[in-house]
Amino acid sequence: MFAHIIYSILSVSFCLLVGKSIEFFLPILPASLYGMAIFTLLLHFRFLNAQRIKPCIEWALANMAVCFIPAGVGIINHFELIKQHGVALIAIIFFTTFLLLTLVGVGYQRRLNQDALMTNNEPSNDK
Amino acid sequence: MISSNLVADLCFASLFIVLTLVLFQAFIHLQKQCKQPWLNPMLFSILTLIPILLFFNVTFEQYYQATFPLHKLLEPAVVALGYPLYQHLKSIKKQWRSIVLLLFFGALITIFISFIITMFVINQYDIAVSLSLKSVTTPIGIALTEQLNGNNSITAFAIILAGLFGALLGPSWLSFINVNSPKAQGLAIGAASHALGTATISKVSYEHAAYSSLALIISAVITAIFSPLIINTLVHFL
Repeated sequence: MFAHIIYSILSVSFCLLVGKSIEFFLPILPASLYGMAIFTLLLHFRFLNAQRIKPCIEWALANMAVCFIPAGVGIINHFELIKQHGVALIAIIFFTTFLLLTLVGVGYQRRLNQDALMTNNEPSNDK
Repeated sequence: MISSNLVADLCFASLFIVLTLVLFQAFIHLQKQCKQPWLNPMLFSILTLIPILLFFNVTFEQYYQATFPLHKLLEPAVVALGYPLYQHLKSIKKQWRSIVLLLFFGALITIFISFIITMFVINQYDIAVSLSLKSVTTPIGIALTEQLNGNNSITAFAIILAGLFGALLGPSWLSFINVNSPKAQGLAIGAASHALGTATISKVSYEHAAYSSLALIISAVITAIFSPLIINTLVHFL
């Protein structure tokens, strides 16, 4: 188990490090997103052993929200801002976030429903 | 003198890190016991920490500096999201095109509408820029804000709010409008609420996590490339 933990930490650190060097030469995306893409590819092409990494990643995914708490507490620095622009600011953020949720959610659900219909129809067409 | 300051700083830092971790774990426990999805551990930890900081006269900068290691762990945590993505790579490959197209139009329409509404309601260019960039992860949002002369603190605030709205209300809203598939829910929340939304729904299922991570990464690329174009064009016309 201990070896698995070390293996997982090293794998993730390696991907992040590669991500950092890509970010240095190609500063379009942050290092962590490059790292995520590399991690996915290394697992996909079996350069990394997915079975060994699984338990650690499950634990990390279940607890990663804690890393957002420091940034989230930052809202206390913006009380003035909220007072100044009142509800408009929050209302715009609220509305446009739900707009994007709806656009992408409904769009993809439709696509999935179409696919489900097609696969359901296939056997009956064959008859 | 220096060493005693250092010791005090270290004590202060560990105190706040431990406090944050304990609060988070306590709320996870509470959520499990009560089985209430709205009892989000992250939100309630934030809501508990704010009065504590205000009461003890601790500024956000002091708290942020103390819990910086925790914040730094965000980077490896985002890398770890590659795992669920890898697990669902096969099913994603089949629908690669429609996913990218959907996220492309979703992001473009939302940037466009956010900018225009803000210009009409508040009429301040820097705020409009900041609100247009709220659906991507913080590092990209801040970098783009600087490039487009927006307002950094408003961007940071808007990104957190967009994350919280999508993470907390997204699943129930999507179910309400009949978007029930974990794939569609994940994709939508990743697109609208970036890593914060992804972290929250990763607990629900691996499928949510995979599609949310995918939307996170694609939306980030699309926004990074096209938002300067859209905003500079809109400025011409307004």
